[in-house]
Amino acid sequence: MCSFEPAEVAVLRQIPELLRARYLPDSPAGLEPGGPPDPVRDRLFPRAYLDPTEESAEQEWRSTVHPELLRDRLDGLDRMLATLDGAVPKGRRLRVALDPAEVEGWIAVCNDARLTLGTLLRVTDESDYSQIDPASPHAAERAVYSWLTGLQGGLIEAMLATLPLDGADD
Amino acid sequence: MSAIGAVGAITAITANATTAPVEVERPDLAQRSATDTPWIVVVWNDPVNLMSYVVLVLQKLFGYSREKATRMMLAVHHEGRAVVRDGSREQCEADVARLHAHGLWATMEHPS
Repeated sequence: MCSFEPAEVAVLRQIPELLRARYLPDSPAGLEPGGPPDPVRDRLFPRAYLDPTEESAEQEWRSTVHPELLRDRLDGLDRMLATLDGAVPKGRRLRVALDPAEVEGWIAVCNDARLTLGTLLRVTDESDYSQIDPASPHAAERAVYSWLTGLQGGLIEAMLATLPLDGADD
Repeated sequence: MSAIGAVGAITAITANATTAPVEVERPDLAQRSATDTPWIVVVWNDPVNLMSYVVLVLQKLFGYSREKATRMMLAVHHEGRAVVRDGSREQCEADVARLHAHGLWATMEHPS
């Protein structure tokens, strides 16, 4: 069960639009090699092979994997919006009930949003957005990135608590 | 073939040895054909993914214990990359796809 301020739900509702624009290429040539570099797409749809002698294996892998990856991501955005549509007012706040599959879905959307914003903001291991000067450039993006980090962290802890400590081989 | 079965076979070979010495292979290498070279899946460090998230994904996708997943995550974090699985090309391609679906940066290569 998650509880949000209305402003937070408004931010969450914008995430799918942000990601849809990043998942889908701008033009039919968007996915072809030789197009303009797009660090966000490269991070969301990375290479499997770094070895240039495996380029044909790489292209074959991309042709089978990427359409399914794209479809699953788009479906995930729709499912997340559906859970927000189910939010119930409780006083000034809004409550969203999530089952385990929906928690996983939210984790995935939060992660893609953070990868997108993080790539645009060029975050590093040393980045600290705990204090943000509202007048600084990209203050809004940094604030959303920082807030999503906290939200995703809480959802991850909830999922980890449901997993056994032992492995399948133990 | 399980590791126990392979050791049993090696014991049977040495018991029936003639004057010619028998080359005993490690059980796991004996299972691989000459064309099936192993591949490894590598996860790379990135500044966005939470350490807890990497542990969650490694446990969820590969069934590792919390301890093993945490050790691998720390290796990724401190050394920049770590091997998380090995297998055939097809298995590793499938593992890389699943890791990418969870937003981890993973690639595959031959072990050096």
